[in-house]
Order: sequence, then C-alpha cells, then structure tokens
Amino acid sequence: MKKTTSLLLTLLLVLALPATAQDMMGYPSDLSECQVDLSGQTVRLFHFGDLSGPYAFITQPIVAAMTDAIAYWNAHDGICGAQLEQVYEDTGGNLEATQSAYDRFTSEYGGELDLLILYSSDDGELLREQLAEDEIVSIISAGSIASLYGEDGQTPGWLFASNPLYINQFGFFCQFVAGSPEQFPDPVIGFVTWPNAFGLSGTEQSVDDFCGELGVEVLDEPQLFLPTDTDIITQVQNAIDEGANILYSNTLASGPALIAATLVDLGLEDEIRLAGVNWVMDTSVGILGQRSQKSNGLPSVDGMLGSMPFQWWTELDKPAVQFVTQQFTANSRGPAEQNIAYLLTWGVVDAAIETTIRAVNEAGSLEGITGASMKAILESIDYSVLGGLMHQSFADGRRDGTHNRIAVMKFANNSMSGAATSAEDAMLIDDGAGGKLFVPLVLPLTDFLPVPQLR
Amino acid sequence: MAHINPAGTFNRSYAEELRIDRTRRDRWLKFALFMALLLLPFLSPSGPLGMDWISDQVVGLVARMAIFIIAVQGLNLLVGYTGQISLGHAAFMAVGAYSSALLARELGWSFWAALPASALLTGLLGLGFGMPSLRVKGFYLAMATLAAQFIIPWVLRYPMEDLTGGSRPLTVPAPMVGPFAHYAEDTLESGGEFAFDAGDPFLVDVITLQVDGDGAQTLEIELLDPAGRAIPDGDVAMTAQLDAMGRRIGLRYIASKPGQYRAVLRAAADAQGWQVSLRRSKALSFATSTAMYMIIVPLAVLLMLLARNIVRTRAGRAFISVRDNDLAAELLGIHVFVAKLQAFFLSAVYAGIAGCLLAFERNSLSLDAFQLDVSIELLAMLIIGGAGYPLGALFGVGFIRLLQEAIIPWLRPLLSDVLPQLFPFVDAVNITSAINPILFGGALILFLVLEPRGIAHRWEVFKAAWKLRPYSN
Repeated sequence: MKKTTSLLLTLLLVLALPATAQDMMGYPSDLSECQVDLSGQTVRLFHFGDLSGPYAFITQPIVAAMTDAIAYWNAHDGICGAQLEQVYEDTGGNLEATQSAYDRFTSEYGGELDLLILYSSDDGELLREQLAEDEIVSIISAGSIASLYGEDGQTPGWLFASNPLYINQFGFFCQFVAGSPEQFPDPVIGFVTWPNAFGLSGTEQSVDDFCGELGVEVLDEPQLFLPTDTDIITQVQNAIDEGANILYSNTLASGPALIAATLVDLGLEDEIRLAGVNWVMDTSVGILGQRSQKSNGLPSVDGMLGSMPFQWWTELDKPAVQFVTQQFTANSRGPAEQNIAYLLTWGVVDAAIETTIRAVNEAGSLEGITGASMKAILESIDYSVLGGLMHQSFADGRRDGTHNRIAVMKFANNSMSGAATSAEDAMLIDDGAGGKLFVPLVLPLTDFLPVPQLR
Repeated sequence: MAHINPAGTFNRSYAEELRIDRTRRDRWLKFALFMALLLLPFLSPSGPLGMDWISDQVVGLVARMAIFIIAVQGLNLLVGYTGQISLGHAAFMAVGAYSSALLARELGWSFWAALPASALLTGLLGLGFGMPSLRVKGFYLAMATLAAQFIIPWVLRYPMEDLTGGSRPLTVPAPMVGPFAHYAEDTLESGGEFAFDAGDPFLVDVITLQVDGDGAQTLEIELLDPAGRAIPDGDVAMTAQLDAMGRRIGLRYIASKPGQYRAVLRAAADAQGWQVSLRRSKALSFATSTAMYMIIVPLAVLLMLLARNIVRTRAGRAFISVRDNDLAAELLGIHVFVAKLQAFFLSAVYAGIAGCLLAFERNSLSLDAFQLDVSIELLAMLIIGGAGYPLGALFGVGFIRLLQEAIIPWLRPLLSDVLPQLFPFVDAVNITSAINPILFGGALILFLVLEPRGIAHRWEVFKAAWKLRPYSN
C-alpha cells in the first residue's frame, strides 16, 4: 500500500499541477436543462458487481468515485433539485451473489429501479434476459457480445456499454497493425488470455477473418491461463512456436503483467510485442508490471499497446480529465484509486444523470420514469460524456462504443516531460519500503476513430 | 452415532428401528416444515398471491440453496458414505446443465423429459470417471476425479462449441406444463393484424400462428408486445419451417407480461392463396424464480429422503462398509468395485439433477459457473456440514451461504479497515480481495480442527441430549 501510495501521490502531484493551479473548474458536461423540479426527492444510483474478487484491482475505486460524484452533485443542489444516493452491493465475482443482489434490488426497490450500473460481462450475461423481462436498463463499461446482443449476436437488449465490444477493439488493433507495416512487417497475433467469458470474448472467427483480410494472421487456438496462475511459460512459448510475433490479451491487472514478465524470462521482450484490450492500459498493470524489467531496465510492460476508447488521466488538457483530477485531489483520494474505474465511474454517473434528466423531462415526474422510457432515451442519445471523456451513441440498435484509439504504455522520464527510453533516463520515486518505482504513462498513438463492426 | 429414541419410546421390531421418523411428532414436525417451505413463495411479492411478507430475494436464495443441497447430497453419498473422494463434482453438474439445456433447445424436449435424461447421462459419465476407483483410492482417486474437472469443461468449451456456444452463455427456455387449454382461434385471409389480451407470470398464453397456402413465404409476421415494441425473433420459437413448396410456416410465442399483444401480418400485394390462423392456449410457466422454487424445493426434499433411504438399503450398507474398511467388506462378500461404481453413478445423478435445475432456474448457462473452485466449495460444504450424515448437506450449504451472504459482508468493512494497518507491506487491494477466501478457508480449518465431523454431528449430539433429558448434561 505504502509503495503505491508514494508512487501515485507523486504522480498525482506532478500531473495535477496544471489543473490545480487554476480555480476549481465547473462541471464540464453540457447536461440537459431540467424542466421539472424534484426538490425534496431522492434519485438512487443502483450498482453492483465484483469489488473484492478477481476484478478488485480494477473495480475497487468505483465506490469512491461514485461517492465523490454524488457528494459533488448533492453539494450543487442535486439533479433538478433531487439529492443523489448510491445503493450498491459487492458480489465478489460470484454469480450466485450477483443473482442474489439482483433479487434484492428488484424486490426492495421495485419500480424505482429503472437503471442499473453493472461492471462485469459475466453479470451482464447472467442478467440479460432478466433485465429485459423486468424492463430495467443497464449501463456497463464493457459488455460481451452475448450480454449486449444476445446469443445470435444480433438482438440488442437492455444493456448499453460505453466501451467498444472486445472483438471490435481487437479488429481495431488489427487495423492499426496493418497500417503500421514498418513496425509490424509480417504480423502474426497469438491470443494469450483467461479461459472465462471476459477472457475469450475477443476470440471470434469473424474478427480472425477480418484481420486476415487486412494481412494480419491470427493463430487459431488461444493459449489459456487462469487468473491464479503464476507460470505461463508453456502458453507463451506455444504461441511463439506457432509463429506469433504479437501477443494479444483479453485480461487485466495481473494478466498482462504476467505475460510481459514471461516474455522477459524468455528473453523475447524486444522481439515480441504485447498488446491487449482497454483494461491492459490501467494503472494496476503499470504497477504490477514493474516486478520484472526489460533489458533496458524499464518495467516489462513498457511499450505494451492497448485500446484507449476514452480520455486518460495524463491528458490534462482535456476538461473532463481536469475536472476528475480536481475532484480526486479535493476528496483526498488514495493514489491506488487513481485508475480506470475512478475515471470511468465519473463518466457513467454523468451518463446516468443525463439519461435521468431527459427521462424526468419526458415523464414530468420522477415516479413517471420507466425502464422503457430510459431505454428509448439511450437508444436515441448522442452525448459527449463529461464533456469529452467518451462519446455515447446507441443509434440503429448499437449497444457498444463506436470509437476507439490505440495507446502505448510508457514510463515517465526524469523531467516528466515525456517517456523514458531506459532506466537511467526514467523518473524513479520512493516506494516507501526502501525501493524505487517507475511512473506509468499512457500515450495515445491514434485519434479517436470508428471501430469496425465484427459481431 | 447411535440413534437414540426419546425416553419412553422403545423399538419392538427391526422395522421400527429402521424407521426414519420414529415418533408421530417427528413425522408431523417434518411435514409442517415441508409445508412451510412450500408456502414461502406464496408470501412473496412475485408469488401467485402477490403478498409482500417475504422478499423475492429470500425465495430465490432458498431455491438456489436447495439446488446446492441436492449437489452436496450427491457428494455425500460418494464421499460421506462410500469414502471415495471427488474433486470433479462441479463438472458433473455442468454435464447435467448442458445436456438438459441442449435437449430443451435443440430437440425441443420439455424440462420434464430433459431432467431425468440429463441425470441419467450424467450418471453414466460418472460411472466412466469412477472406473479408476477399481485401482486407486484416497489421494490418487482425488487426482483421477480432478481429471473430470478439467476434461469435461474443456470438451464442452471446445469440441462441442457449435452446440454449447463455448465460452458464450446459453439461454435456457423456461420449464412449462402445457399448453393444456385452447381457448381462442382466429383466421385471416388478407393482410391485417390480430390483437389479443394475454400474459400472466404463471398461467401464460401460448400464441401459435399457423400460415397455410402457396403464398405463405411472402408473408411477414411481426409480434408486438403490450408497449408496442417488436418482440425479437430470438424470443419467438419457430414451430415449423416453410415446407419445400413454401406453403406452411408456424411460430410460437409465450407471452408472460400482461397486456394487449398484436400480431401484424404484411403480405406482398400480389400474394394470394394463404390463410393465417392464430390459436391461443394456456400453459403453466415456471419462468420466474418463485415458480421454479415450486419445482426445486420439493425435488430437493424428495432427493434428500431418497438418499436417506438409499443408505438404509443393501447397497447403502455396502457403501458404508466399503468406506469403513474395504478389505473387510470384500471378505464379507461385498463386491467393492460394484459398490463404488454405484456410489459414483448415484453421486453423478444428483449432480446432474442439480446442474439441470441450476440451468433452468437461471435461464442462462455459462461454463464459468462450473469451475474447479465450485467443486472445492461443494466439498467444503460437505465437510463443514458433516460428511456421512443425512443432514450434512443441509447444514453445510446453509452455513456456507450464511457465511457468504451475511457474515462476510458484515465482517468485510471492519477487516478492510483493520487488516491494511496490520499488514502495511501488503497492497490494500490485495487484502480486500483476499478477505473472502481467508474467511472461507478459516471457517474450513476451524471445522477440521474443532469439529471434523461437521455441524450435523453436533446436531446429533444436541438431539441425543435433548431426548435424554433430564438425564443428559
């Protein structure tokens, strides 16, 4: 804890300087005008998911961000005068607990529960039919094809994801690889991932075919490992033996860090490129990836590529990032919370508020809102979340994010002016236990571009 | 431990000694408990009476506990009574779940036929994985059964991907009884629409549209729900495809939401020679958790009683003798291998039934629900509840669920504050994510050390003391 605290406090201070140097900025989003006064009422934000199980590294700051966002809104007269309140439950990544939480929410809050925020594809898949049956809209950061579009991949349901589908992210990555022949002259991608719904949701024949047409070969069989595994030399070696020169992973936190460390162990970190889904760009990977260093002394995840379908902490010229950073600092949040979940949760709360305001305006009262009206609003929404953090548009039956970009994970140099090229050049900070840590950076390599539709 | 009768109750025959409920009071008490369990969903908001005395969450929780009680009872027959360790029980549940779901989806079997068929199939597979018990036992047998935990999900995920969807979830149709009463029929011979009132969570309307005639293939049929939204094609079952001449098409939809539905028919302008008939009939649906409860709980009680009876039979006594001393059992004329195989078969049948119920209760099926950790959790439930005791499964599942649903959520905030201060060198996120397994493992260790025979043993001691009062202490 101490080491991450020191690391990220330093990072935060350095990065937040431009933002805190000016006055506290106003809310960056252009929310709809309230036409109904909801004073004296309470709008509840319902959410549940894994806060203490396998995805804890990512999801833990969700509650902190939700608390901060709600505190901010309540201090600014709430939504149309109504105070905000969060109702949540930790399911620990257990599907039984997910079902139990859903039953509790629906039985305790009944008609009030029109919008539910979820975190995991597995939960989305489990609840897809029930949400449709109970007419409850769900906002999720990234859902699988099955959760968003059903078994046939063609039936849009009641879940709306802010990020592009994982197969679309993978297809987008293939486009990037195909468009960079100098970097990837003869690209062959091997999938190294977890054997669960999330891990395998990027592996579909349609995306393999798409990549193939672009001249990017994708190996037939994914190499699988468990989130608890500590040695995956066999899986990585298998993929490389089959010809892979790029390893792509649909994992998070320890997953990409373990693959990167294995490449270092095999002495292949300079020959094989590592890439992955948007979660591989998270701060947790930047820290966990420091347990092993490349030949230039930088952490094993230095140079890792990944999707970045939203703005990131390091983009402090963007109003959304400035605002969240200010709130983060003002609420004295712990550095371990400065991750993807904290950032995205502010966006999800913003999207939920905008949807609620539009629904209230249409219905004329809070009680008049229904899940169906929320769904209709989301289906027609074209909204820049938090003034640019990401874009939301679910027209034409779309249920996932439409735009993406590719970013690279690097580590800050001594002057914090850019990325280090070696350990000697890198900024090292005290980890609080007598060691040193590198400061992770995520640098976009492309603009936001439309993702291919591959489901 | 020996069965102790209440003071003043004497056995006068072997039959009396073997009776499960020795006194009338025992019998009535159990019957009352069973009736109370059956009444539970009627007191919930989504029950048929719409009462709000017990939340739907409790009803759903009891139903899911009952499913796990069935699975653990199967494990009890194998581990508790026969002494054969198994680490592949969740995989057998997966077989039951997937086979029943596929029978219902692909072959159109009803739940009532798919349930026994999947149980039998799982039992046969259990026999196969029980074969190594002829040559190995103890730790080595555990390793052999562990193979099932790896092989079965792999087969379901990869070689059978076309059927099972691999890592994608499968939607499972809700169990239904019927349709048993046709109550309306309409016919149209030109474009137009049918409007009809339908829908109830329990007594659902089954809408069947039948198109006959040469122009059938030119028709477009769209079903609209009470809110006027088109019902996705995936929710509408095609009962018959167009025949080779394009003359007949049928579709069926189960309307569970109350309101006015519409079936809109659009025909090409030059289309002719067709006739559409719409038929409505009633069926009893088990789509909701409350309705599934009425299947799951009685079945769990029945299977608990069956297990209790099995161990009183010749086969059951053979299981126990194999567990206590297999050499002695063989010398007594018991075919040890047959007894072991019978136990594997029965255990797998129970797992298959539990898996099938889980699939139909959730209406969705994913391989993630049958991983190794579930097998270990089932074994832990049995150890904590009491292996080799009839009520071991009940106590074990009850305790673990209590731990997961109440004790851990209650302790987690406290431990999340305290533990990071005690272990400042460990990342707080690591500590938080370790709280669940630490408490789960801690409870298991406590039981192994303090009460290795489980809660059921303690319950038996308590019962004996109660019956012997005032001579007990």
